[in-house]
Amino acid sequence: MAGLLKPPGNFALTPHKVSICILVQVYAPPSELSVPFPFSSVSHHNCLGIFLLSLTKACDSIFEPSLDELIAQLREIGGLLNHWLSDHLTRRLSSLASPDDLFNFFNDLRGILGGSDANVVDDDQIVLDPSSAIGMFVRRCLLAFNVMSFEGVCHLLSNIGTYCKESLSDCPPFELSHLDDSSNDPELEYESMELENFVFEKVSEEFEARKLANERVSFHSHAPGALFELVEDTDFPPSSSVEHIDRPREVSPCAPSTSDTLRGTGPPGGTFLRTNWQVQGYLSEQADAIEKHGSSFPIYAFESILKRLQKSAPELHRVHFLRYLNSLYHDDYPGALENLHRYFDYSAGTEGVEFVPDPSGCSGLGRYEIALLNLGMMHFHLGHPKQSLEVLIEAVRVSQQHSDDTCLAYTLAAICNLLSAIGFSNMTGIIGASYWPVAGIGTSSSIQQQLFVLLRRSLKRAESLKLKRLVASIHLEIAKFDLTHVQRPLLSFGPKASTKLRTCPANICKELWTSYHLISDFTDETSIMTTDGAFCTSWLQNLKKPRGSLVFSQENGIRSDSDIFHFSAQPSSIPGSVLHLLGSSYLVRAAAWETYGSAPLARINALVFATCFSDSSSSADAALAYAKLIQYLAVFKGYKEAFAALKIAEEKFLCVSKSIILLVKLQLLHERALHRGHLKLAQQLCDELGVLASPVTGVDMELKTEASLRHAQTLLAANQYDQAAAVAHSLFCMCYKFNMQVQNATVLLLLAEIHKRSGNAVSGIPYALACLSFCQSFNLDLLKASATLTLAELWLSLGPSHAKKALSLIHGAFPVLLGHGGLELRSRAFITEAKCYLAEPSFSVSEDPEMVLEPLRQASEELQVLEHHELASEAFYLMAIVYDKLGQLNEREDAAASFKKHIIALENPEDKDDPLSNFP
Amino acid sequence: MASKETCRTELRSAVRLLSDRGLYSASKWAAEQLMGIEQDPAKHTPSHTRFQRGSSSIRRRFRAAAAGDSSATPSAGVSYVATPSMAGAEDYEYDAIDNDFYLLAKSYFDCREFRRAAHVLRDQTSKKAVFLRCYALYLAGEKRKEEEMIELEGPLGKSDTVNKENVSLERELSALRKNGTIDSFCLYVYGLVLKEKGSENLARTVLVEAVNSYPWNWSAWSELQSLCTTIETLNSLNLNNHWMKDFFLANTYQELRMHNESLSKYEYLQATFSFSNYIQAQIAKAQYNLREFELVEVIFEELLRNDPYRIEDMDMYSNVLYAKECFSALSYLAHRVFLTDKYRPESCCIIGNYYSLKGQHEKSVIYFRRALKLNINYLSAWTLMGHEYVEMKNTSAAVDAYRRAVDINPCDYRAWYGLGQAYEMMGMPFYALHYFKKSVFLQPNDSRLWIAMAQCYETEQLHMLEEAIKCYKRAANCNDREAIALHHLAKLHCKLGHTEEAAFYYKKDLDRMEAEEREGPNMVEALMFLAQHCKTKKRFEEAEVYCTRLLDYTGPEKETAESLLQGIRYEKLDVEHFPP
Repeated sequence: MAGLLKPPGNFALTPHKVSICILVQVYAPPSELSVPFPFSSVSHHNCLGIFLLSLTKACDSIFEPSLDELIAQLREIGGLLNHWLSDHLTRRLSSLASPDDLFNFFNDLRGILGGSDANVVDDDQIVLDPSSAIGMFVRRCLLAFNVMSFEGVCHLLSNIGTYCKESLSDCPPFELSHLDDSSNDPELEYESMELENFVFEKVSEEFEARKLANERVSFHSHAPGALFELVEDTDFPPSSSVEHIDRPREVSPCAPSTSDTLRGTGPPGGTFLRTNWQVQGYLSEQADAIEKHGSSFPIYAFESILKRLQKSAPELHRVHFLRYLNSLYHDDYPGALENLHRYFDYSAGTEGVEFVPDPSGCSGLGRYEIALLNLGMMHFHLGHPKQSLEVLIEAVRVSQQHSDDTCLAYTLAAICNLLSAIGFSNMTGIIGASYWPVAGIGTSSSIQQQLFVLLRRSLKRAESLKLKRLVASIHLEIAKFDLTHVQRPLLSFGPKASTKLRTCPANICKELWTSYHLISDFTDETSIMTTDGAFCTSWLQNLKKPRGSLVFSQENGIRSDSDIFHFSAQPSSIPGSVLHLLGSSYLVRAAAWETYGSAPLARINALVFATCFSDSSSSADAALAYAKLIQYLAVFKGYKEAFAALKIAEEKFLCVSKSIILLVKLQLLHERALHRGHLKLAQQLCDELGVLASPVTGVDMELKTEASLRHAQTLLAANQYDQAAAVAHSLFCMCYKFNMQVQNATVLLLLAEIHKRSGNAVSGIPYALACLSFCQSFNLDLLKASATLTLAELWLSLGPSHAKKALSLIHGAFPVLLGHGGLELRSRAFITEAKCYLAEPSFSVSEDPEMVLEPLRQASEELQVLEHHELASEAFYLMAIVYDKLGQLNEREDAAASFKKHIIALENPEDKDDPLSNFP
Repeated sequence: MASKETCRTELRSAVRLLSDRGLYSASKWAAEQLMGIEQDPAKHTPSHTRFQRGSSSIRRRFRAAAAGDSSATPSAGVSYVATPSMAGAEDYEYDAIDNDFYLLAKSYFDCREFRRAAHVLRDQTSKKAVFLRCYALYLAGEKRKEEEMIELEGPLGKSDTVNKENVSLERELSALRKNGTIDSFCLYVYGLVLKEKGSENLARTVLVEAVNSYPWNWSAWSELQSLCTTIETLNSLNLNNHWMKDFFLANTYQELRMHNESLSKYEYLQATFSFSNYIQAQIAKAQYNLREFELVEVIFEELLRNDPYRIEDMDMYSNVLYAKECFSALSYLAHRVFLTDKYRPESCCIIGNYYSLKGQHEKSVIYFRRALKLNINYLSAWTLMGHEYVEMKNTSAAVDAYRRAVDINPCDYRAWYGLGQAYEMMGMPFYALHYFKKSVFLQPNDSRLWIAMAQCYETEQLHMLEEAIKCYKRAANCNDREAIALHHLAKLHCKLGHTEEAAFYYKKDLDRMEAEEREGPNMVEALMFLAQHCKTKKRFEEAEVYCTRLLDYTGPEKETAESLLQGIRYEKLDVEHFPP
C-alpha cells in the first residue's frame, strides 16, 4: 500500500503534519541515549511512538485536528510530561516565523533519519528507520517540502500562524474557516440577520465534537439504529444478502490501487485535509455507517461536512457518492437521483468498486454500467421494482457490450435479488421476452424457474471471476431460494429425471456451508487499510475515554463485547464486509430452522447473530434478530417476558414506521389481544399492521399476507366464520398468484381451523390434509405437527368413534409438538389428548385419572402463563368434570372457580395495569 | 419614461462621478448609453448625426412596427423618480489637502496599486475617500484571491480561497450602515462583500438600497440581477421607479428565460436609447434564444459596423454563423477578434467554433480549453466542448464537460440535452432519459428536445412506443421546423396498428410537405400509405388521387400504384354493380 501512496504531489504539508514532525523529533532526537531526555522510561518513550504511529494512520475525520485537540490527546499519553510536550510543541511552532525557519526545521528533521546501512550506527543511538511507518511519513514530509515552491512555503507559514492563533485565541476551530468571525462580534452577526451560517457552523461543530468524543459509542448507545431498509423483506428470510450484493455501492477500499483515485489531498484553505488515503478511508467508513444505520444516520450534519469537503476538494467526486447514499437512506428520491447521476457523470465509474484498470485500454471509455447497476439498486431500495428491472437489464446489456464481467456478475446477482424479493407474478408483462438477459430459457417458464437459472448462472460467473464475497452471497441467496421452493424439472419435455417434489434441507445446508467456507478464506481481502485506519482512530478516541470500560461493557450487555473485540483486534482483523456476510449466513440459518420447525436451533442461530454480528451488520438485520428472539420469548415464555425484552429492543433501535421492532410489537399485541379476547383492539392492531404495507401490488407481500392472516384469525375469534373464510380464501388466491407456497400451507391450516370451529368438521378435513401434504413437500415439520393436531381435533369432533384415530394422530405428532411447539400448541395438544381419552368409550376415568388430569394440569399452567383465557377455561372445565366424576369435590370447586375466572375475563375484556396496551 | 434630455444630463454626470470613483465598467456602460440617446439634430453638427443615422438604416428595416408601438406607450400612472443631481455637490466638501490625498490615491488606484491607494486614504473620513479605500481593499483582496487560486491548485482541485479583506470590510461597512453615514457607493461594495460571503438576502437588501439611492451604477444593478434567480425574488424587490429599472428588468427577464418579456422591455427602451449598442446586443441575445438566427445575424452585422472592435457577445454571433455554416464569415470574425484581443474567453470560443465547423475537433477543444482557463465558469465553452467531445466519440470526456456546465448553471438545457445524447450513444437509453427529461423541463417549447427524447423511447432496447408517441406529439405542437415529428408519429401509429391516427398524421405531413414544396422518400411513403388506407376504407376517389400522384415517381412505388389503381377500378365496378 505504502508504495502506491508515495508519489510526490499527493501529499500536502499542513501545520498538523509539521506538528507531527516536531513530535517525531522529540521522539527520536539525533544522537541521544536509549531513553532520550524528557522521557522517564522505555515504555513511556514507546507510548509516544504508538501515538505518533496512530496519528499518521487515523482517519476519524477528513479534516485534520486543531492544535488544541492535538494537545488534548498529548495530555492523555504524556503523563508527567504533558506540559513539557505541549509547551515544546507550541514553542517550536510559534518559533517558525520566517520561511528560513522552515527551511532549517526540515534540514534538522533530515538528521533524525538513519542511513540505509545500519552498521555504522551506535547501539545506544536512536535513529529512525527510513522505511518504518514513521520514517516514511517523515520522508514524505521532506519530499513535499523540497518540491514546494516559494509561494507554497509562504502559505505554509501563514497557515501555521493561523493554526497557532486558533489554539491561543481558544475559539472553535471551524469558526475561522468562514469569513465572519462571529465570535468576535456577535452583535454584528445578529444585526445582519444571517443566522444560517451561524447555525450551520454550530451544527457541524457539534457533530464534530460528538464524533470526536465518542464516535463508536455514541452511535450505538444513543442513536438507536433500526430502520427497515428493504421494504420488501418484512419477515424471514432476512434482507441481509441484499446488502452484500450491492457491494459495488460501497466505496471499496481497494480503490487507491488505481492511479486515477490516487490523488493527494487538497491544499489548505482554512481547514486542512488529511492525506488522500485517509480521506478515502474516512469516506468508505462513512459509507458503511450510512448503510448500517439507515435513516438514523444524521443527514444534515453529515451533509454539511460533505459540503465543506467538496469546497476544499472540488475534484474529489466520491463526495457526491456519499451524498447519494445519504439521501438514499433518508428516502430522498430526487436528491439521491441527482447525486447519483452527478457522481457517475464525473467519475465515469472508474472510482471505487473492484476496479481493475484494463490493459487493453477500454477503460478509457468509462464504466457507466456501474452507474446503471447503482441506479437499479436505488430504484429497488426505494420500491420501484419496474424501473429497477428496466435499469438492471440495461446494465446487463451494457456490461455485455463492454465485456465487463465483474459488473455483469453483480448485476445478475442484483436481478436475482430483485426477483426473489419482489416476486413478480407476470414478468413477461414487464419486460419483453427478447430482452430477457437469460435468453436461453423459454418465456413460458415461471418466474421461479427463471430465478433458479439466473442464480445458478451468476454463481458460475462469480466463481470464475473469483469474486469471493459475491460467491458467498449468491450461495446464501440460493439457500434462501431453496428454502421456499420445490424443485421441479427444468425441462418441460424429453426424458424426465425422477425429481422429488419437495424441498431439500440438505441442499440448503450445503449452500450455507459453502458460503461459510468461502468467507473464512478471504485471503485477497483488500479492506485492511481502512481497518487499520479505523483501528487507529478508535485507539486515539479511546485515549479520552474513562478507563473503566469494563463496567461499561457490563451495562451495555451484548453490544460492547465486540467493542472489546475491536480494541483487541489486530490490524489484520476480519474486515467488516466479511463479518457482515458471515452474520447474514447465521440469519439465513435461523430462518431455515424456523421454517423447518426447530425452535431451539432457530433461537440459537438468532442469538449467535445478535451476540457476535450485530455490530458488523446493518442495524435492520440486528433488529430482525432481536425481533425473532422476542417472538420466541413470547411463544415459549409468555408475554410478560416478551414485552420486557421488547422494551429493551425499543430503546436500542429506533421505533418508527416500518421498523421491524414496531412490527413485532404489533404482532405481540395482536396475539395477546386475541388470547385475552379483546377483539376490538385486535382488529385495530391488525389494521395498523395492514397499513404498514406499501399500496403497490407485488410489494411488501409478506406484510400483506401477515395482515390478512391476522385479520382472518380475528374474525374467527369473533365467530364470524363466513367472513373469516372469505378473507382466508382471498388470501389463498393471492398467495397462489404470487407463488408463496409456504404461506399457502398456513392459510390452508387456517381454513381447516375455521371449518372446525364452525362445526363443519367434514369439510375441514380436506384442508387439513392438503396442508399436511404441503408441509411434507416443504419439510415444514412444526407446521405439519400442528396440522396433524388440527386433523386430530377434526376427527374427534366427528364423534367418539373416531377418538382412537385422533389419539394415535396426536401421539404421532407429540415429539415435535412438545419439543418445538410453543406454549399454545403444547397445551392444545394436551387438551385434545385429554378430550380424546374422555371421549373414548373404552376409557374410564376412575381407573386411571392421571392419564387425563396430568395433561390438563400441564395445559392449564402453560395457558395461564400465556393468558389464553379461552383455552384455559376449557382446560379447567374438563378438569372440573373429571374431578366431579372422581368425586373430589374440593378440587372440583377449585377448578370450577378458575374456570369462572377465565370465562369472566374472556367475556369482559378490559385493559388493566398494562403500559403497553395504550397503543396506539 | 424620463425625457431624452433628462436622461442625457443624468448620464453625463453619472459618467463623471463613476469614473472619479474608479467604477470603470459602470461608467463605461453609462457612457455607452449616453451616446445611445438620439441626438437632437438642431444642436449638433451634421456629420455627427449622419454617422448615427446611416448606421441604423438596416436595423430599422427589421425593427417592426411593434417596436414603434411599444415606445409610444409610456406606462401611465407611474411616476418616475428623477433623483436630483448629486453630481458635483460632493466634489466641494473637501478642503484642498484632503482632495490632494484623494488625488494621489486615485492615481495609485488607476495604476492598479490598490493597497497603496488604500494606505494613502487610511485616515480620510469623507464619504468619497472611504468608498475608494474600501473598494481598493476589496479589489486588492480579489487580486490576491485569484493569485492564490493558481498557487493553491492541488490535485483535488482548487480549494476555496476567499477574499481575505472581506471580514474587516464587512465589519466596517455594516457599522457605517448602522449609523446611517453610508453612501450608495459604499453600499455597493458592501453588497459585493455580502454576496461573496453568501448572505444573499442581506446582500439583496443592501444592493436595493444602493440602486434606490443612486440608480446610475450599472454594476450594482448587475450584481442585483445575479442575485435574482427566481421571478419571486425579483417581484419581491422594493425598487423605486426609475428608467434604469427598465434596463435592470429587461436584463433580469432575459436571465430568467422570459425572452419575450425581455424583448418588449428592450424595444421600449430603444425609443429613447435608439443607438445603444448595448440594447442592440441584448435584443440579439433574446432573439438568439428565440432562435431567430436571421435577425440576429443582421443585428450583429450592424453592430460590428458601428463598433468594429467589440468582443462582448460576439461568441453568440459566432454560434449563429456556425449554425448557418457561414465558413468565411466565421473565419473573418475569428481573425478580427484574434487581432483585437486574443486572450478573451469570447475570442477563444469563436476560434473554437471555427475549428469545429471545419471538422477539426481536436484543435477546437484546445481553444475551448483556453477559454476555460481564462474563465473557469464560462458556461457555453463547457457545453461547446462537450459537443466537440461527442463529435470525437470521447463520450466520457463529453459527459464530464456537460456535467460541469450544468453544475455551473442547472438551467442550461443544452448541456442536459448533450448529456442525454452522450448516454444514448453509449447504448444506455433508459439512463439517458433522466437527462432528456431535465432538458425538456427547462425548455418545453423546443421540438428538438422532444424529438430526441422520443427517439430515446423508440430505441429497440426500450421500445416504449406509447411514450414516444406522446413526446412526438409535444414536438409536433411546438413548431417543429423540420417536420420530423409528424412523420414519426405517422410511422409509429402505423406500427401500432392505429391506422386512423396514422392516416391523420400522414395527411398532415403530406400537406406540410406540399406547403413547403419538399419532395423525397417521406412523400412517397405518405402517398403510399394514404392510397392503401383510402382503398381499404373504400374512399376510392381519394385513393385514386394518391395513386396518380405516385405515378410521377419511378421505382417500385410506381408499379404498386398501378396495381392499386387497377384494384380500385375493379372494386369500384363491384360497388357500382352490386350496391350494398
